[in-house]
Amino acid sequence: MDVRTPSRPLAPPRRPRPSAATGVVVTVLVAAHVLAWQGTEFSPAALVEGWRGMADFLGQALPPDLSWSRVLSPGIRAALVTLAIGLLGTTLSVPFALGLALLAARTTTPDRWAYQAGRSILSFLRAVPDVVFALVFVTAVGLGPFAGVLALIFHNTGVMGKLWAEAMEEIDLGPRDALRTNGASGLQVALHAVLPAVVPQFVGLLLYRFDVNVRSSLVLGLVGAGGIGFLVNQSIKLFRFDEMVTHLMVVMALVVAVDQLSAFVRRRIGA
Amino acid sequence: MTPTGEVRHVEPPAAPSMDGAGVALAVRGLRKSFAGRTVLDGLDLRLRSGEFLALLGANGCGKSTALRCVVGLETPDGGMIHIHGREAGAARDAESARLRRRTAMVFQQVHLVRRRSVLDNVCAGALGRLPLRHSLTPLLFPRELREEAMACLDRVGLAARAAEPAGRLSGGQQQRVAIARALCQRASIVLADEPVSALDPVAADQVVGLLAELAREQRLAVAAVLHQPSLARRHADRVVGLLDGRVAVDAPAGALTEADLAALYAADRRPAEQEHR
Ligand SMILES: Nc1ncnc2c1ncn2[C@@H]1O[C@H](COP(=O)(O)OP(=O)(O)O)[C@@H](O)[C@H]1O
Ligand SMILES: [Mg+2]
Repeated sequence: MDVRTPSRPLAPPRRPRPSAATGVVVTVLVAAHVLAWQGTEFSPAALVEGWRGMADFLGQALPPDLSWSRVLSPGIRAALVTLAIGLLGTTLSVPFALGLALLAARTTTPDRWAYQAGRSILSFLRAVPDVVFALVFVTAVGLGPFAGVLALIFHNTGVMGKLWAEAMEEIDLGPRDALRTNGASGLQVALHAVLPAVVPQFVGLLLYRFDVNVRSSLVLGLVGAGGIGFLVNQSIKLFRFDEMVTHLMVVMALVVAVDQLSAFVRRRIGA
Repeated sequence: MTPTGEVRHVEPPAAPSMDGAGVALAVRGLRKSFAGRTVLDGLDLRLRSGEFLALLGANGCGKSTALRCVVGLETPDGGMIHIHGREAGAARDAESARLRRRTAMVFQQVHLVRRRSVLDNVCAGALGRLPLRHSLTPLLFPRELREEAMACLDRVGLAARAAEPAGRLSGGQQQRVAIARALCQRASIVLADEPVSALDPVAADQVVGLLAELAREQRLAVAAVLHQPSLARRHADRVVGLLDGRVAVDAPAGALTEADLAALYAADRRPAEQEHR
């Protein structure tokens, strides 16, 4: 039989009608956006009317103030402090992140309680933003970069511990079983079968976090925890927008340099 | 298996000490089921020191499960495991842990730490008897252990490759490193689960030959799951065939018949009920 002339025309299947649930979801989404629009006092008109303010701002900001001794040199020194905050905050969180990750990974945890405890601590540290930790530590140890380092240690332990635990949960369990059968303890198995398998992922994640932490330590400076963020904040308060732009340029150079370095090393180790 | 379905049990000509002394591993009535499906249905197995036993059987008949129960990677539902005459109970208690350290397992996928050196992998066999302060990192492994590991590597013919990352060796060489790791563990019972299924015929023959030599020279009790009857015939002393979680054939390697093999592997031609997990 010729397929083009079937004895009875075959009805193509109907497209399914959009269900009632789809309608509800769309209505709720639209309503949520309307409420959000009002809640944030979103107003394109205000933006248009404010063009004069923007023009004023740009007029004051440009050209940037590039005087070496007054702006650029202190900016670069503060940027190095920012880099140092990011570096210490990342490195000093390594032992804590490692310990908690070993508890919070199903492949290495000693028991169910340790697993739950590890995961809860990591979740808490991750849930509290580093800026909030910084505000807390500024009250505790005073204004300055030390508060920033402490804030990063806490928050980064939470994030990196979680990422490392996930990396350890994804490994091939064979080498672990092999060492278990020869009587190795849980910690020995972790040290000789699990960790060696995840070293490249760990280093890759560490570099990624370093990159993120340098950028965060900038924001930490805005709340008084030292570094170039602090100078940006000051310039804004003193309406020295031309200084601020210079500082932002230094920041950009720092961020790009760290990003490139971290990407380069990660490529080299294949992580 | 006889046509009546009974175990075809052939006594070896002059059985050396079938009871008591010489029996390294005795498994009696081993039972294990997964999610209500019986995998081991009263398995009995004896393995003497100095003996090389080949385990045959279709996929899914419970060979791996049996070996994993013996080394403590699975907990049996019932039955007894005696290691050198003493019962090994739950994997957790100290005495059982010490007993189980006498048994080593060699896996088809080798399970070496690929990034670590061959020597460090062999040393890892000794972790069970090393205190933590000597085993936090391979840098802390004592000198005597390194020397012992070198001797084990020499025994499998790979001393010259000691410094290389394990992952760089060929499949057959890696399997020999895994055997050296078992030696460094000072195990007296070596269980090998399809140690040569991923190897080319020449490497396979070499690895199985090595296991046979170790059984004879070092009086190790060796049981290896093999899928090539020819390898079993050439190297093994005795062949045990498993069917549906029980021993169906137990015969000296020379007495293994084609009918035995046909009965054992008939399961493979049955529909997929055996296969699915
Ligand atoms: N951890 C497990 N969970 C569920 N089923 C399993 C598990 N291990 C093995 N099995 C099942 O038990 C049966 C026997 O497996 P196995 O001992 O690996 O057989 P063999 O090694 O003889 O091929 C198979 O059907 C397998 O799917
Ligand atoms: Mg198997």
